[in-house]
Amino acid sequence: MRRFLRDNGLTLFFLLLTVLALVGQAFAGHARYNERQVAGGGGTVSLWHFVTSAEFAVDVTENWQSEYLQFFLYIFMTVWLVQRGSPESKEIGKEGTESDEDQQVGRYAGPDAPRWARVGGVRGPLFSRSLGLTMGALFLASWFAQSVAGRFAYNGDRLAERQETVSWVGYVVSADFWNRSLQNWQSEFLAVASMVWLSIFLRQRGSPESKPVGAPRGATGVEG
Amino acid sequence: MRWRGGVAFGFVLVGAVSCSSVDDRAVADEAAAFLRALQKGDGAGACARLLPRAAESLESGGKACADEVLGLDVAVGGVRGVEVWGDHALVRAGGQAVFLSRWGPGWRVAAAGCEARPDEPYACEVEA
Repeated sequence: MRRFLRDNGLTLFFLLLTVLALVGQAFAGHARYNERQVAGGGGTVSLWHFVTSAEFAVDVTENWQSEYLQFFLYIFMTVWLVQRGSPESKEIGKEGTESDEDQQVGRYAGPDAPRWARVGGVRGPLFSRSLGLTMGALFLASWFAQSVAGRFAYNGDRLAERQETVSWVGYVVSADFWNRSLQNWQSEFLAVASMVWLSIFLRQRGSPESKPVGAPRGATGVEG
Repeated sequence: MRWRGGVAFGFVLVGAVSCSSVDDRAVADEAAAFLRALQKGDGAGACARLLPRAAESLESGGKACADEVLGLDVAVGGVRGVEVWGDHALVRAGGQAVFLSRWGPGWRVAAAGCEARPDEPYACEVEA
């Protein structure tokens, strides 16, 4: 058990934080929702009612989609774009998908390589892009979920304001949908750019996200 | 159409969204009961089905809701269409709209006698 916890500590820590943050969001969101209900002359709702509502779902999924979009873009763009001096980038001159030998695929695959790294056909190229594609699929799924939940929540707000409701297409071209999406995207893109740029100059001893403390400023693709 | 999310959030939301005919029926029944009370001249019965704030809006200047509500221009036709989105609902009846909000385990009328206006919210005879 202790070995399992040690070997998976990073994943487990962030999963635990996710759950704790969701619980906190549920309580805070519930209180805020009931404040709005009372202000509008309506009745309050239970915590369970709130966490199974579109209002909670849209607030959760709008953040999820932006996180997965960030990783999807980061994974694919770091194949082709580099940043001199950043440990987040690979070495200058290695832009692109690199050779089979560099990537240890096909006949260059070692004995412990995943089976799909050795095989050809569709499976090899698919496995070679599986991380980015999965992040992309999770982005699309959570963005679609945001659009569905967002429409329910938006239409509830519209009725509270004595306005007609909108269709799904009407919602995905609405200011509400794009405001929710873009306000999350801009923060993710800024965070990535900051990480790439600041890691050129700054260090975090012991972290693989940083260069070794003594590595020169120009060292690229070196992890500590 | 009442949205009920799937359990927690390890979900595919597409499958978690469903339409609940239970809410549709409850909303239609509440609106019909409100309109029936008006039709019968039962002002107290109609006021009991209004959100408290909507009822209070009729009580300015010492007037009684039960008297005022019977003087409103509310069409009392049969319920035709019902839309439920979360904790708010819209019912079409007699060429007008009635808006309802969730109140405890049931629903109450939030606005009635509402006429559509182009590019503007509905104009209502009474609302919370």
